[in-house]
Amino acid sequence: MMNLLPILGEPRQFAIWEQGLFVALAGASVYGFWRRFGPILGKILQSKRDPDFHLFPIGKRVWDFVWEVLLQAKVIRERPLAGLAHALVFWAFCAFGLVTLNHCAVVFGLGFLDPAGRVGRFYFDVAAIFAIACAVGILGLFVRRFLVRTKWLGELSWGSGLVALLIFALMATYLAAFFVTAPGGAVQALWWAHTITLLAFLPLIPHTKHLHLVLSPFTVFFSCGEFAHIPPLSGDEDFGLVAGKDLTRLVSLQAYSCVECGRCMEHCPANATGKELNPKEIVLGLRGYLNEFGPKSEEALLGKYESQRAAFECTTCGACEFQCPVGIEHVPILVGLRRGAVNTGAWENDYGSKLFLALEKGSNALGMAAAERDKFVEKSALPIFDGTQDYCLWLGCMGGYDPRGRAIVLALVRVMRHLGASFGVLRKEKCTGDPVRRLGNDLLFQQLAEANLEALAQNRVKKIITICPHCVRTIQEDWKEFGTPPEVEHHSEFLARHLGELSCVSGRDFSRAEIAGKTAGALAPEQARNEKIVFHDPCYLGRYRGVYDEPRQVAALAGELVEAPRSHERSFCCGAGGGLAFLGEEKGERVSHVRAAELVATGAGVVAAACPFCNTMFQDALAARGEDAPELLDIAQLVARGLPEEQ
Amino acid sequence: MKIVVAIKQVPDRDAPVRIAADEKWIEERELQWAMNEPDAYALEEALQLKEKHGGEVIVLSAGPERVGSTIREALAKGADRAIHIVCDELGAGAGGGLRNFDALGVARLLAEAIKPESPDLVLTGLQSEDLGLCQTGVILAELLGLPHSTLILHVEKTDAGLKVKRELEEGWFQSIEMPLPAVLAMQSGGNKLRYATLMGIKRAKTKELRAVNAAELGVQAGAVVTLEQISAPKKQKSTQMLGGSAKEAATALVEKLKTEARVL
Repeated sequence: MMNLLPILGEPRQFAIWEQGLFVALAGASVYGFWRRFGPILGKILQSKRDPDFHLFPIGKRVWDFVWEVLLQAKVIRERPLAGLAHALVFWAFCAFGLVTLNHCAVVFGLGFLDPAGRVGRFYFDVAAIFAIACAVGILGLFVRRFLVRTKWLGELSWGSGLVALLIFALMATYLAAFFVTAPGGAVQALWWAHTITLLAFLPLIPHTKHLHLVLSPFTVFFSCGEFAHIPPLSGDEDFGLVAGKDLTRLVSLQAYSCVECGRCMEHCPANATGKELNPKEIVLGLRGYLNEFGPKSEEALLGKYESQRAAFECTTCGACEFQCPVGIEHVPILVGLRRGAVNTGAWENDYGSKLFLALEKGSNALGMAAAERDKFVEKSALPIFDGTQDYCLWLGCMGGYDPRGRAIVLALVRVMRHLGASFGVLRKEKCTGDPVRRLGNDLLFQQLAEANLEALAQNRVKKIITICPHCVRTIQEDWKEFGTPPEVEHHSEFLARHLGELSCVSGRDFSRAEIAGKTAGALAPEQARNEKIVFHDPCYLGRYRGVYDEPRQVAALAGELVEAPRSHERSFCCGAGGGLAFLGEEKGERVSHVRAAELVATGAGVVAAACPFCNTMFQDALAARGEDAPELLDIAQLVARGLPEEQ
Repeated sequence: MKIVVAIKQVPDRDAPVRIAADEKWIEERELQWAMNEPDAYALEEALQLKEKHGGEVIVLSAGPERVGSTIREALAKGADRAIHIVCDELGAGAGGGLRNFDALGVARLLAEAIKPESPDLVLTGLQSEDLGLCQTGVILAELLGLPHSTLILHVEKTDAGLKVKRELEEGWFQSIEMPLPAVLAMQSGGNKLRYATLMGIKRAKTKELRAVNAAELGVQAGAVVTLEQISAPKKQKSTQMLGGSAKEAATALVEKLKTEARVL
């Protein structure tokens, strides 16, 4: 292994004029760098402080830094080939730290790595391996950007081309030095070539997206750490992201860290269906705003650089934030922009107003009379929660008022009775506030959260089970801003703990006819066949809560599972989140139809859902496909069907 | 334009209605309260007129302490200041409803509070969702000595005064030109209502909310109309079977829906 390469050629002597030239060029380079970077740093530091930022616990921050920055895990995992190429370039940069330091020290005779010595030679040889890897990597990335022209990368960027060239030149001039052994002109010239390339590169960094070299390690380290965390408003004059003065340090840092890789855009359901929204443009819009107006400006954010219409096309599915390799948090930015519009009354939308007015006066997002839920509870003879049962079964708006939601609730009730679980439902529920929270109506959300927390405390509720991942998220995370919510879990988590007691379900054969309920009586053996089931990961259960396995374990009781092309953390939204189930969708293809087509294409006979909103969205989409559409069932319904008949 | 909007706080639509033991009113203990819907449309019209023509919107309401929340809601939606005629006789303590103040009594209270303001326009809701008398606005106009019009959907300011659009039956409308100052009783549905915003609520905290009582206004309680009894409507169910072929039955059905049920 040792002595693979010849000794690295390094100049022994530098004339005074050479040293002077080096100082001058280095000075100019650093000045060029600072001239652009200084103001950017200033803008970030002058931004408002984040209201709920806390450095500790620091463990997760350090881990995220190691995993995402040093090991480049997210970069590689979500786009393997390009990610690996990038990782090679990054690791080479890290390895070259000491090399570069030594390279500059040499001009003053202060070199500390001796190319002929054991340590020095070893280090330079290892660096050479990295240099080759880096050159290969940067070549690959160049081909991808300029020859293949992947659409997520956007317009051709000559700045990127120049940077790729410089990086390649840095590696080439380094490697060439191994093969120029005779001291004198050639070694000196090569040293200068490498130096000039380096000093040309430095000031370019803050002028291009390569600023992420400097910023993104900090962005990953300082970013919130919680997924899609919506920060609290601070004080009486804070209405969300209205103008530049509302942008916080983290948001400004994120805006300048964007590498324009387009992973967020690639996974955005709105962007994929012809809507105006492009998460990348939202982030770059903030950067443009900061460049022009700065962090103290009163100029409206929703104006030259950000579109109100785009901001309200977001389903808050979180795919963008999940994919981002530099730690940008898109969801709080989008919700922040919405808050700025809604909390000040600037958002005028018929559907939105209807939703807000329904919740101002009533108890549920569907605008129905509370008596309707009372009738449902009474007619279905659901037990009332009186403080003595283990679980409070939270129906939610869909479970209490929507026919499909109610069917899911009744199925879950049947399963819970079979399991002998002790539960009850509350006499009265108010909407958890999820749609208004995501749409940015903090007044209404606060009213709903506080009223609910009080009611739950009065009813002595300790543990909640619910069929809706939106309720789970809102109760567990968003209500924290106004009090201490009780424990809450999704029914898939509950059912997954009782798989053993539900094994009777997997004994059953389901034929198409039985599923459709068209024939009664015993099944002829030739009619019985197991149906394949495709499980759709709800955004608020999967990406938001990290629950992927439990609902699959439950669904697997009823048949054989197949996976959609985009599943788990890449699951494609059904289109209902972010309050969008209550708004119109006029432009482009319907998100729900696109996803339904993907699910149907798996060849499954059953689409399994775990969220009443997904269920409602797909009902419409599948109905549009006609008679041959697969069955649509919640996992609770899949289990309930397999239970022995009730006496 | 200086506009006064008179609003009433009524039991929430979702409220479970239970007749009180004395059969003179409903049980108020478990009720939630909300702004009377036609009054909300009156407020919206006033706010839109202010946005177009400048001026001031003053909100006025008579009732017990709890009415304050509805007044603040009006301030949050954009009214500039408020007057609360604190009046417990209208509350649960005295059995509620018309016990001591009837429509004439309430109109007197409102009139005395409005007179010192000398507004250009007074808007009320057409009727309340709990009693539905449709009288208060009209009596108020008489007490103020101002011209009035009812069932108004839209208000337009003209050089001579106002042009208003009235809703009649069977899809007919009527336009009336009238002078200012005037009183209008507003119908629901003419505008899209605005939602309450956080900014509105925060600003409302600094807006003036002046409280007065009946004595200060010089109005005596003493109803000329008394509510004798209220009862729940009896549920009736009757079934008519329509015979003949499908076509005949359908024709008969449409006829009945038009003339008897009056839903077509």
